Amino acid sequence: MLLDLIPHIINGLALGLLFALLALGFMLIIGVMEVINLAHGSLFALGAYVALAMMAPDGGLPFAFMEPYYALPAVPRYLIALVVGPLVVGLVGMGLELCLRRTYGSDPLYGLLLTFGAALVLEETIREIWGSSEYALPIPRGISGGFIAGDLIWSTYRIYAAVFAAGLIGVLWLFLNKTPYGAVIKAGAHDSEMVRALGYNLTRLRLLVFGFGAALAGIAGIVMAPIWGIRPVVGVDAVIPAFVIIVLGGVGSFWGAVSAGIMVGLVVALTAAFLTDWSLLSMYLLLLAVVTFRSRGLAGKSSVLEA
Amino acid sequence: MALFEARGLHKRFGDQVVLEEINLAFEAGSLSGIMGPNGAGKTTCFNVLTGRYRPDRGSVRFDGDDITGWAPHRIVRRGISRSFQIMNLFDEYSALDNVVVALPSVRSRSFDVLHAIDADSEAQDRAETILDRVGLRGRERVNVRSLSYGERRALEIGVALATDPRLLFVDEPTAGLGTGATARLAELIQELKRHTTIVMIEHDMRFLFGLADRISVIHWGQVIAEGTPDELRENPWVRRSNLGGLA
Amino acid sequence: MDYDIKQTTAWVTGPILLSLVLFGTMPFWIEAVGLYQYLGVEVLIWVIFALGFNLLLGYTGLPSFGHGAFLGIGAYAFGLAQFEVWPNLWFCLAASVVVTALFGAVTALFLSHRRGIYFALMSIAFGQIFYFIASKWTDVTHGEDGLLNIQRLPVELGFAQLSIRDNAELYYLCFAIYAVLVIVLWRLTNSPFGRLLRAIKQNETRVAFVGYPVTLYKWAVFTLSCAIAGLAGGLFAMAQEGAYINVMSLQWSGIVVLMVLIGGGFVSFWGPVLGVALYFVARDVLGAYTDTWLLWFGLMFVVLVMFKPQGLAGIWQDLSRRRAAERPGRTASAGMEG
Repeated sequence: MLLDLIPHIINGLALGLLFALLALGFMLIIGVMEVINLAHGSLFALGAYVALAMMAPDGGLPFAFMEPYYALPAVPRYLIALVVGPLVVGLVGMGLELCLRRTYGSDPLYGLLLTFGAALVLEETIREIWGSSEYALPIPRGISGGFIAGDLIWSTYRIYAAVFAAGLIGVLWLFLNKTPYGAVIKAGAHDSEMVRALGYNLTRLRLLVFGFGAALAGIAGIVMAPIWGIRPVVGVDAVIPAFVIIVLGGVGSFWGAVSAGIMVGLVVALTAAFLTDWSLLSMYLLLLAVVTFRSRGLAGKSSVLEA
Repeated sequence: MALFEARGLHKRFGDQVVLEEINLAFEAGSLSGIMGPNGAGKTTCFNVLTGRYRPDRGSVRFDGDDITGWAPHRIVRRGISRSFQIMNLFDEYSALDNVVVALPSVRSRSFDVLHAIDADSEAQDRAETILDRVGLRGRERVNVRSLSYGERRALEIGVALATDPRLLFVDEPTAGLGTGATARLAELIQELKRHTTIVMIEHDMRFLFGLADRISVIHWGQVIAEGTPDELRENPWVRRSNLGGLA
Repeated sequence: MDYDIKQTTAWVTGPILLSLVLFGTMPFWIEAVGLYQYLGVEVLIWVIFALGFNLLLGYTGLPSFGHGAFLGIGAYAFGLAQFEVWPNLWFCLAASVVVTALFGAVTALFLSHRRGIYFALMSIAFGQIFYFIASKWTDVTHGEDGLLNIQRLPVELGFAQLSIRDNAELYYLCFAIYAVLVIVLWRLTNSPFGRLLRAIKQNETRVAFVGYPVTLYKWAVFTLSCAIAGLAGGLFAMAQEGAYINVMSLQWSGIVVLMVLIGGGFVSFWGPVLGVALYFVARDVLGAYTDTWLLWFGLMFVVLVMFKPQGLAGIWQDLSRRRAAERPGRTASAGMEG
């Protein structure tokens, strides 16, 4: 009986690690910009759609000029999608940061509202280009399908997704903790004066960090796409877990976010296994419970969130 | 018995102890001063005394009631008010409206949703009297953001006074003021002292020694010395800190 | 950002009269300008909703991103009261208001000691919870299909009974409710209670330190705002002749915020009215030319937040301030009257 749960746990881990990836980007933006990026979910969705454009020539998409490219085999196209997707999303994120600049220093509510407007614009743009119907992201054969081991059915993709996300989180940790760039970003999240004191350009740091956080959302969107499917409103489904994780894990805590991500992923996956319809509700209930009893999350300190 | 008495207050933030053991007593009708070096815990002490923070240990008594851990609004209603060092006003309101909101008569009908507050001439008159007292006559209709720095400091005290306190805490009222404004403030506090018990944190020794009846010196989260200004001038710490010489 | 300071003691001001004349005559000219009667009904219902919402957002500074849920709850309550209890207009509207206020009061218990972004997050969570429950509890709400065949119940006046089956007739019921509500809200925003709400927005800490239990007032205004949302929801159920889940979604909750802000709810009592009118007119006029009107509307919103977060009312206030400055002899008492 307990063994039967293992595939669901793998599923939860895959979800949770992807949520964590999304949330870490979200957290970097909060840290350096002090902005709650409500468009984060839309950037996630955009990543999935860009990957779709790189993978699937069907559906009457306006990408006829890319015909020769679609002759490539699936694996290189997938690898290209994994690079181009975050790149495009990162650039869009940087564009958003340029707009956000005007709100720095005023009521933080304005930043929130601006990113809400941006989410609306992104979602409508996606609808305009790809329509409202649902797509599935084609993936190379090597990571699709499933196999049977020990009387259980395993999904290859979920295992791939979990490993991929875990690997990326590891790289991100190394980047933040073992490189000088990471040190500057952490300094920026702690105290913007310190960045200036260290002789770095805060304006450029903000631009790059926003782009970087957006790119993380984009890549999470690509890897999530085969699990959730691709539709314009997928952004809302993604931005809420990011909130939950930030609140659970506490702003500014890397491993707090990762462990909260895994926790949320497991809760959602296990609820889905038994009460399919209610799986997302469990996440909101989790959020309420945590915020009610621990207003600063499990590991969080006082932060901009309370301003 | 003292009007206000704090015993054994202890407060820590995380693993940092800010108040070790604070014992203070303020007599009715007196003006008490609190001084001490930066980071000695003066402002935290104020925040604990006025209900902004709950102490980890110790008790606060006011006029026979144990008010330890009471919410700020309850403490205010009991008769204790405070002004803030960092200006804490209603920036979109005129000077008059800042005071009106704080009046007990307005507070008692705060769930009135139909009657115009601007038609409450009694409240308006009362607020004008208070503004007059703190030297803001003629500036009643001016928006807070258009007031000068010194005027906002005076309004800060006006808002605290509007709640009709029996005990008024004033947090560094001279911070950032020039000599002229400081002298006017000294006159104001001299005048307030006749009606209200006052406790004041102050950096400006000349100012504090000239006004206070008794002064407590806080250092390392404890009261290290206490006495009248004259007694304290002889105190080794005050002498050593090179501040007593000014007084 | 200053709310207008004129005529704060009057019951009926110039702008209130103007709005009553404009809305009161709308059924006679709306078709002449190329629009249609039902649009008027929609505009008035959303104006009622948005005026109530602005008590939270504009006056108390509480960024609620889940308010659409309460509009939806009001609509469901109206339908269920009609089907299950007593198909009487006043009873069903009262049920909408009371039920929604109860939901709001319970929600506010969790929200009222929060501020800033945490308040926003919690309000999103509650909005989503209500949305999910409505979408899954199909025995009561009929899920995605919606609660169909809600009747436009006749107006019982004791001595007479008026039908509101026709859109123009329903419009006048909404108008009557609007007329009462706008006067009551105008009074409220200038009362001790309203003045206190604005003080909370400016400086919550100081409000506590002049003797007010802030949480209680935040709870009260949230509940009141939900009650008004419930009223709008009941009217909306009649307008649509059904109760549907889509208004409860995060997107619609966000659009309400957007309408109120574009209109200038932060700086004017009339912000929500202007914003709602602009939204619906834009939907129909822009929507006639392009399917992607919401994209353009969203872009407009982004530009407005960047350059003029005070919205339409803020632009108007600037213009009239400039005009007043150019005309010597008149004091520069800026802004829309009221």
